[in-house]
Amino acid sequence: MSSSSFDQKLRRLARSHFEDRSRRRGLLVAFEGPDGSGKTTQRKLFKTWLKSSGYDVVTTKWNSSDLIKPIIKSRKTIRVLSPLEFSLLHAADFRHRIESVVLPALWEGKLVIADRFLFTGLARDVARGLDFDQVLKLYQPLVWPDLVFYFSVSARTSQERIATTRAPTFYEAGQDVTDIDEPAASYERFITRVIREYESLALIFRFITVDAERSIHDQHQEIRRLFHEGEQRPWSDWNLDAVVEWLAMRGARV
Amino acid sequence: MTTNGSRLISIDGVNAHALKDTARSVAAANRKHRAGISSWGASGIFDELTVADSHAGIPSVRTLLLLYAADLAFRLRWEIGPALDEGRLVIAAPYVATPIALGQAAGLDPHWLADIFRFAPPATDHHVIDPAPARPIAQRHGFVEFAWEHLETRLGGLTRLELMDRTRRHLRALAKHADRSP
Repeated sequence: MSSSSFDQKLRRLARSHFEDRSRRRGLLVAFEGPDGSGKTTQRKLFKTWLKSSGYDVVTTKWNSSDLIKPIIKSRKTIRVLSPLEFSLLHAADFRHRIESVVLPALWEGKLVIADRFLFTGLARDVARGLDFDQVLKLYQPLVWPDLVFYFSVSARTSQERIATTRAPTFYEAGQDVTDIDEPAASYERFITRVIREYESLALIFRFITVDAERSIHDQHQEIRRLFHEGEQRPWSDWNLDAVVEWLAMRGARV
Repeated sequence: MTTNGSRLISIDGVNAHALKDTARSVAAANRKHRAGISSWGASGIFDELTVADSHAGIPSVRTLLLLYAADLAFRLRWEIGPALDEGRLVIAAPYVATPIALGQAAGLDPHWLADIFRFAPPATDHHVIDPAPARPIAQRHGFVEFAWEHLETRLGGLTRLELMDRTRRHLRALAKHADRSP
């Protein structure tokens, strides 16, 4: 069988699997936003609600690949990462989770909640001075979530919420690029840049913006309502390249 | 040749033993240029990958190449860039052709492969050396060998020698293309 014929068969297999209306299809929901926006709180509430509603839920968090995370952590600890190395390693961590957690769960019809997705990489890397198109290419073949909830807060709110619990770490504060020694001052400057990038991404990729300055209860109710609207959307062919590559990698027979 | 006399020579291939010998010969012939060799793995990323827990999973070719790119960014920052700034000659063995050829051998999009290594400055001179893969296990320490060891189950049934042969074929094609480039 030629590789293009094999590829076409995998495409048909992927499409028919995800478009099969006789079973619940996998859904990918991403929670995005700056540190201190409350997305983790909302993600946990959302997961509890989904499970009580009968969904089979899998969570994946940013920078959490068992294979790559230790490599990133050791370099963050000694503060040796350049913006480019930071970007490439996070893209590797993301790719490994896409292949080992996200796509397998979606294939099995599970609901995947991503606490941060590739947009985190885009916002942070561009805020560090890297080129948007170049960073986006690192994440190809792209996997698009069915829904992206963007938790919008001001830089001040983000900073105040972080300050109540801990001091920002070196890379959270962007001290590798701001040249500011004081973490809080560096964080203020860096998170302003990150939020600016997020606001652009929210427009380009049509995020569902949640006003994260509101009460936790109000946000959660809004997320429930928006999820019910969003889960009816059909499967997107945008994800076909990534699914086909994953199927080929796991030795799919067609 | 750059204004300060620095030169970056890339040597790519699948046989790490031959790669190392060639790099040493070029360095020896260029002692007056204070030639230095930069090899893959300088950042320690691949050592850490080797000792990762078995439950951590297996990387795909794509993930491995992103790690190679991160390692190369490290080499450029700490080894290659500073030496070039001092007007020295640097031999990068391997450089970008080897991972690109490996990715092509594994079926990845050539445009994506070119894109992820776009940050690497072009070498002044390119060389592809094409001996067969090393036979003794002790000499199998090249990047493609490393990839084979880590990706075996992710390559759709390709044997070690098939992967090596495919990679060599793509390396030859890349070398031809580089020869035709201005």
